[in-house]
Amino acid sequence: MDWTKQIGRYIVVMFLQVLLFNRLQLAGVCHPYVYILCLLMMPATLPHSVDLLLGAVAGLIMDVFCNSLGIHMAACTLIMLLRPFMLGQMVNDIERLNAEISTHTLGIDAMAKYTSLLVVIHHMTVFLLASWSWTHIGFALVETAVSSLVSIALILGYNFVKYR
Amino acid sequence: MQTLLKILARYSNFLVFLFLEVVAFLLIAYYNPYPRSSMLSTANRLVAWEYETADEIGSYITLRQVNAHLAEENARLRNLLAGDSSFNAVYHSAKVVQMTNDKQRNYLTVNRGARDSVYHGMGVRNADGVVGIIRTVGEHYSIVQPLINTASRLSCRFAKNDYIGTLEWDGKNNRYARLADIATHVEVAVGDTIVTSGLSPAFPEGIPVGVITDCKRNPGDSYYTIQVQLSTDYNRLKYVELISNNNRSEIEELNHGLD
Repeated sequence: MDWTKQIGRYIVVMFLQVLLFNRLQLAGVCHPYVYILCLLMMPATLPHSVDLLLGAVAGLIMDVFCNSLGIHMAACTLIMLLRPFMLGQMVNDIERLNAEISTHTLGIDAMAKYTSLLVVIHHMTVFLLASWSWTHIGFALVETAVSSLVSIALILGYNFVKYR
Repeated sequence: MQTLLKILARYSNFLVFLFLEVVAFLLIAYYNPYPRSSMLSTANRLVAWEYETADEIGSYITLRQVNAHLAEENARLRNLLAGDSSFNAVYHSAKVVQMTNDKQRNYLTVNRGARDSVYHGMGVRNADGVVGIIRTVGEHYSIVQPLINTASRLSCRFAKNDYIGTLEWDGKNNRYARLADIATHVEVAVGDTIVTSGLSPAFPEGIPVGVITDCKRNPGDSYYTIQVQLSTDYNRLKYVELISNNNRSEIEELNHGLD
């Protein structure tokens, strides 16, 4: 797998995230974090601890752009911890994980499950940490639901376009 | 010893995870009240520049120049008008480079920094009224904590009499805030104007804050629940003015003497 391509995509996705998706305003409940598609689709060839570090760094960079130091870092590290276990559940043939994780390698059903679960976990962590109080928990959950739906649709949509 | 090493090797990934999460939570605990570091926030030159450039691309350049010119002229005229000698204010115009207005803790980044003699705690207003207070100062950019941040508190008073209350935001609608600490013996009417009290060193007295749109008196409570529509519309904020208090050092010295 070509890592320069992965990094190139990360830069493009971050630009779109910061300049487009961070500016979406739908009653304050729609904040899709599409940048995690780079973490989700990254080939699973690296040691787990390196995966965790990459997640932390990607989260930290996002935090600098959002003035929310630590929040995205915590969420990204968490999904990178769960990622190998999720992949292990879905794929019997380890060889396939050397390629990019996508609808092509996992199949549509498994990829949809994998993406949905990790996106929801990531978004819920971010919004709960950002609200930082029990009084806003209802709002944080609505935010999680709406934003996750949009993020999942965008990530899977990207897969369909790329591996049509 | 060997068993211990084996256990460590076995759970090394989990230990890495724990370490990273602890770092993340320390960062949250330390930075969540407001962005302290001008490097690791939107006051970072590179980050702010990215926002600013993107903003330029999407707009009419000539219109922007006209706006900037008008904003500067506004600041200059306000300087001429600033007659309140107890405050001795100087206005500088600034452009909003980045902002959020639909979160709990909102911030906006403006294109003035330490080299334009911006300092921590400076007041920020626009043509309509109070915007917020400077929180983090970078070399070229600064971060403003606006009224629409759940951590913000502003001392205000009624324009018609001198009763003083505290303005806070509940994190819901960015057009409305709450005025607390107004006792029920005060006469309050819908439509009353709220202005800055002049008690904080950030703002001179009398800058518009908002207009009362709702006023409730709960049985058994000796304070009103007052809803205020903010003068500043954060949904279309482009230019602001930073208020520099020339008597600041003297005030700080006096306060320091009290500690």
